[in-house]
Amino acid sequence: MSIINYAAKEINFKVVYYGPGVAGKTASLQHVHRSLPDVNKGKMISLATGDDRTIFFDFLPVSALTVRGFVTKFQLYTVPGQVYYNMTRKLVLRGVDGVVFVADSQFERLKENAESFRNLEENLREYNYDLDRMPCVIQYNKRDLPNAAPVPYLEYMLNRRARRVPSFESVASRGAGVFDALNTVSRMVLLSEFGQEQEVQRNAS
Amino acid sequence: MLRDLVIHENEAARIGQVLGSFLEESGASEALLIDRSGQLLASSGKTATFDTVSISALAAGAFSSTGAIAELLGETEFSVLFHQGVRESIHVSTVDGETILLAIFNDGTTVGMVRLFAKEACRAIGAVLAEARAQPRRVGALALPLTSDEAGGRIGPESR
Repeated sequence: MSIINYAAKEINFKVVYYGPGVAGKTASLQHVHRSLPDVNKGKMISLATGDDRTIFFDFLPVSALTVRGFVTKFQLYTVPGQVYYNMTRKLVLRGVDGVVFVADSQFERLKENAESFRNLEENLREYNYDLDRMPCVIQYNKRDLPNAAPVPYLEYMLNRRARRVPSFESVASRGAGVFDALNTVSRMVLLSEFGQEQEVQRNAS
Repeated sequence: MLRDLVIHENEAARIGQVLGSFLEESGASEALLIDRSGQLLASSGKTATFDTVSISALAAGAFSSTGAIAELLGETEFSVLFHQGVRESIHVSTVDGETILLAIFNDGTTVGMVRLFAKEACRAIGAVLAEARAQPRRVGALALPLTSDEAGGRIGPESR
């Protein structure tokens, strides 16, 4: 849910990085954090276990272009990917405006990707959000690995709903493709909240 | 479905006033009004040393996770959360279904005082927010839909 503050001239949105464990959600946020100048970002917070697995969420506030005099701010969150952390995943989705689904491209992780995607849809439904109306992009990560499945194959697995969402190849550890996905979802969020219906559809197709 | 929230200058001023009196009466040093999704809606306080954006995200997370514990115990939620530190403590209470009020205080006051006046402040802020939620979202500068060009939304440099 967007929050518009006319007094502070700010619009706030929440974007959640979702996906199976060790797919590169935290790495994507770390790249965003590394790449932005201080003036456009806040402090990154990671609630992780001793072995760097996200246990609750990572959090990074960033700001984007000013729109009609309003500073647009995006709060980026990740969720813990492991199956047994579903309750925390659900909590983090509260009030979400847009989703970046980070898929692990490796052949042996295809099942986990599909399960996580299904889990995203279920958890959104608990808040009465419809995945087909939610601004969403898919980021196929780990494209540099030799056992990465071809993108058309991943598309067939994860992106064959009635509404196909924009998808991007990425290598989050190097930062490649991370901003392509983030810039697109932020644009989709803005259009979905304040754009015209046809623009929203054009942007998502 | 959670509803979008629009805070106009008028509501912001009224909320600021309630937070100001709350601090005065309770002796707390900072008050943050936080949306349960983790976003800071308003704040008031004597010092500007705290990272209020991070505190908001973390407090909303803590409040939701204790809410989930409450449900496991058969409660609807725990309406108050209190964390005691050596110097600084926090008190979090429910404003409405979508908002919480966080107070930071030290040994200049007591948790009882904070709790007492937080209750009053929550009621007053709840009334303002109820009015804010009833308002149309697209007004003023945002009355007309954004064009595709305006919604640039570019956050950082793309690298292929």
